[in-house]
Amino acid sequence: MTTGMIVQRTGWEVLAKGNGYDRHIRRIVASDLMSDVLVVDEDDLLLLTSLVSDQVLRTAQVVGAVGVVVVNGKTLPSSMVAVANGLGVSLLTTRLAKYDACVALHQIMEAKQAHG
Amino acid sequence: MPLDEDRPSLVLQELIHRMKVRDVMTRAVCTAERQTPLRAVQHLMRDRGISGVPVAEHGRLFGIVSTPDIIRAWEGGIIDEPCQRHMSSRLMVLEEDMPLAFAIRYFGRYTYGRFPVLNREQMLVGILSQRDINRALLRELAHEVRRLETHSGVSAAAGDEENFHKYMLREFPVVRLDFENAGKAANQIRLLLLERNIALRLVRRVAVAVYELEMNLCVHSNGGVLSCLVTNGRAEIIACDSGPGISDIEWACRDGTSTATAWVRSLGFGAGMGLPNVKRVADEFSITSSTGGGTTVRVVVQVGNDGRSGATPAEEACPRHAVPDGRSAP
Repeated sequence: MTTGMIVQRTGWEVLAKGNGYDRHIRRIVASDLMSDVLVVDEDDLLLLTSLVSDQVLRTAQVVGAVGVVVVNGKTLPSSMVAVANGLGVSLLTTRLAKYDACVALHQIMEAKQAHG
Repeated sequence: MPLDEDRPSLVLQELIHRMKVRDVMTRAVCTAERQTPLRAVQHLMRDRGISGVPVAEHGRLFGIVSTPDIIRAWEGGIIDEPCQRHMSSRLMVLEEDMPLAFAIRYFGRYTYGRFPVLNREQMLVGILSQRDINRALLRELAHEVRRLETHSGVSAAAGDEENFHKYMLREFPVVRLDFENAGKAANQIRLLLLERNIALRLVRRVAVAVYELEMNLCVHSNGGVLSCLVTNGRAEIIACDSGPGISDIEWACRDGTSTATAWVRSLGFGAGMGLPNVKRVADEFSITSSTGGGTTVRVVVQVGNDGRSGATPAEEACPRHAVPDGRSAP
């Protein structure tokens, strides 16, 4: 599953297309606590959060995340898009709540596994 | 340029790649306008002790008048004519964002004594001479030598290309509560380590340590400096602040303890996991502090290509994905 594939299936809005847009996502991490994200030790993760802050993107880059999905349909400041572009991290938004967004991603992953 | 051909020291190579033209150039540029007579330009050169004057209006560069142009003007009896007709208008220029190494190559390739410097909007913002470069390099080298003397294990004698890519020294000031810039040091160091072909997992460990320490400086200290030295297969990170100090270091290093404000917590930090997380990714960790004084945290991560998996010390001790504090590891 790649970020591009997620966008294709869910229609979530893409605000910035990062370097890892077409990279295989190994793990989904959903958290509003960046301290929690920083203990994740796995490459190519996708971060789901309802936190609106440039630090979300900096945290994502530090842990090598392919992208960030901001949930709950929050309006993002333009600075966040600029930071995402600068860091090469994909930035998406969805109107879904965090739990529902996780469910949607799980369904995509299951469907992909079922169809190989 | 001799600097390139003679294989300068690692520190010098690092310096000329790190420094930008804007860090070195003279900003107060003495200029003339297109209608300025050559005689007035000559007086300007004499009074200021310079050998070339850019011709510019409202920041836009049109040409440059140098000593040979003045000599020709005297010989041809045209010293009172406007400089526009006799200036050199086919110019080689530098951009302020260029690395100093690029400018040094220019001086080696061309015989000009100076280059006008433009910004991204193509406006004249400075002028760069070899004297500017010498002065800046001497200043920076003195600074670097002092720093290197304080670090042990720096082998600046190895001058081969391979070692150049393994050597890195960066220093970042961190301002209290400056969340707009917090995290930039970690991001930059991460990219620089990736450029040096250090394994991704090791890069992440260094970046996490730097980021946590950077946030700590930003959130808890009065401000400080964060430095990262990579040499001899190890990355040494030092976070040093000017206060207010930690009264109980053992408590501060415990998971879940924090003095962060609600505002800091609203930004996703302050959960009391910073220092424990730094310890988790570090091969060596030490902290010294005194109440009312400063705090210094020193972290070492082995980044040498010695076949290590890049796993954290905690993971190596507990390979079945459980870290010692009982938190489930990813």
